[in-house]
Amino acid sequence: MRPFLSVEKMSVGYGTTTVLDKLDLGIHKGEFVALLGSSGCGKTTLLRTIAGFTKPFFGSIRVADRDVTQMPPDKRGMALVFQSYALWPHMTVAQNIGYGLKLQRRSRENIDARVNEMQNLLGLAGLGDRKPGQLSGGQRQRVALGRALAIDPEILLLDEPLSNLDARIRLTVRHEIRSLQKRLGITAIHVTHDREEAMVMADRIIIMNAGCIEQEGSPEDVYNKPASPFVAAFMGAENLLSMRARVQGEQVELMEGSFNPSVVTARAGRTLATGPIELRFRAEAARLARSEDKTVLQPGTLELRGQVTSVSYPGGHWRHAIRLGENEILVDADTPFNQGETVRVCIPAKSLFIFNVVEGLAEARAH
Amino acid sequence: MQTRFLALLLVLPALIMIVLFFIVPLFASILGAFEVGDSFGLGNFSKSFDLYSRDMIFTVVIVSISTALIGILSIAIGGYLTLGENPRSVAILRWLYRWPMFIPFIVVGQVLRTFLAKNGLMNNILVSLGILTPLQTTGFLDWRGIVIAFVWKQTPFVTLLVAGAMASLDRSTIEAARNLGASRLRILIEIVVPQVSGTLLVGLILSFVTMMSVLSVPLMINAQSPTMLTADIAFRINAHGDYGVANALGVISLLLTAGVALIYLRQTMKDRL
Repeated sequence: MRPFLSVEKMSVGYGTTTVLDKLDLGIHKGEFVALLGSSGCGKTTLLRTIAGFTKPFFGSIRVADRDVTQMPPDKRGMALVFQSYALWPHMTVAQNIGYGLKLQRRSRENIDARVNEMQNLLGLAGLGDRKPGQLSGGQRQRVALGRALAIDPEILLLDEPLSNLDARIRLTVRHEIRSLQKRLGITAIHVTHDREEAMVMADRIIIMNAGCIEQEGSPEDVYNKPASPFVAAFMGAENLLSMRARVQGEQVELMEGSFNPSVVTARAGRTLATGPIELRFRAEAARLARSEDKTVLQPGTLELRGQVTSVSYPGGHWRHAIRLGENEILVDADTPFNQGETVRVCIPAKSLFIFNVVEGLAEARAH
Repeated sequence: MQTRFLALLLVLPALIMIVLFFIVPLFASILGAFEVGDSFGLGNFSKSFDLYSRDMIFTVVIVSISTALIGILSIAIGGYLTLGENPRSVAILRWLYRWPMFIPFIVVGQVLRTFLAKNGLMNNILVSLGILTPLQTTGFLDWRGIVIAFVWKQTPFVTLLVAGAMASLDRSTIEAARNLGASRLRILIEIVVPQVSGTLLVGLILSFVTMMSVLSVPLMINAQSPTMLTADIAFRINAHGDYGVANALGVISLLLTAGVALIYLRQTMKDRL
């Protein structure tokens, strides 16, 4: 199936700097896609280029087989919700929502009906005569959404729409936007730097780094099968160890080091070569055991020995900082271990993310 | 008690300056306006209205027309600076528009006098281009000349304020309108200007008050009747030594500007609420 929205070999930049280079992207009708990345990775530039506010140097953007690359923003069938909401402070809620319809020269009754419909849909009923300054953050956000949806766009573009909301409201608005998108069956592209937000809301996550797409896939895929050290780190596998590996057919042997005995694990489809590797895992994926605990480990489980340097309670579980020579890793456990205690850290094979170290690149990407 | 005294001492120099050089002369001329011979009365005012009521209307009309034109032009220039899509012409305009601000009113009057006169530069150019014959030329050295001089001189000042306010607007409020299909003119009128209306109003009121007090331009361009109140005040003093009527005309000017200042105060109070 041809994608509904497709970006082909697009290069975008400002002046002489190129932000996005030969980027390809396809989005299907009705899909909710999250563009995820840290600030400066080009995700907002990509969104603004799709919206038509930035002209690409090269490449094309197509919507339903229509080339929209050179079209002005309003002819693309897209509506953008801005990070700052960009509500017009001198207009009432109803005027804000109805402005797009007024520009389309619809009749007064038609506009009023549609504005009412939007207000009811978004829980803004009765607020039509207020100015944006008299609304709460969450209400403003919904007005911005209503203004975008009122013109019935084919594609809804969301530029970090939740980043100005209180943490608690943000959690409910996530679900509201998601269920609204499902109900309307609208195609949506959502830019965010919040991993959890992307996971909860999107059908598909596109992880961007330095102007390139690092990985795209379902939330489960990018979470459990990160394709690069950057994605692994971005998806929360912050613990990093350097080791050596020997690859033999479908088997990967992590060589014995100062803190671990050697272990053999399945290659499981990973492209790996013998040599130095970097190994990443999440704090919650590892298990802690006392050093005298002799429980037999499942095959392929990596075992590390280290000393607990500090214990904290972020809620739900105890978080231990564990020293392995120069390195320090974080590991969660249900019960606290003593500070200074020597412990075994067991990481099951499926939670290990192993990557070959690319000279020079590894350092830059680790951050 | 000690600190209170110290605080008073700190304010005193400024207070003395204001009282001595501003409040006292102001009250002296207001009082002077009511002084007729050795007693107080409204004689100076009735004389002022008898002699200069036409000039009062003339002044208000000229300054109002100028203010309106300045408003329109500063919105147009500020709008182009904010919404213009050709970076080169925006840069040129940004560089050009401020120049008149640094030219004194008297020089503006002089320049425009030679430019706008019946045998002035403008008509000479029009004649040499064959657009007008020498018989068709008219001088602009009447109320039109004054309006042109005021607009030319004050537009940059208001534009500076307005363009600054426009530049500090949240750009995305403009983009949101563009996203919905608004033309640049509609964006200017419906999105940008309403958001900078406070600044525009302040700029126009300051210009209004400035223009009310300019003497050099009416003297240079249009010294015959009807003329502006400033020229009348100067004439009363220089030709007749008639401080009474001059003071009365001053009080009338003050009342006119006070009316405008009241609008300004109302607006700022409304913004604060």
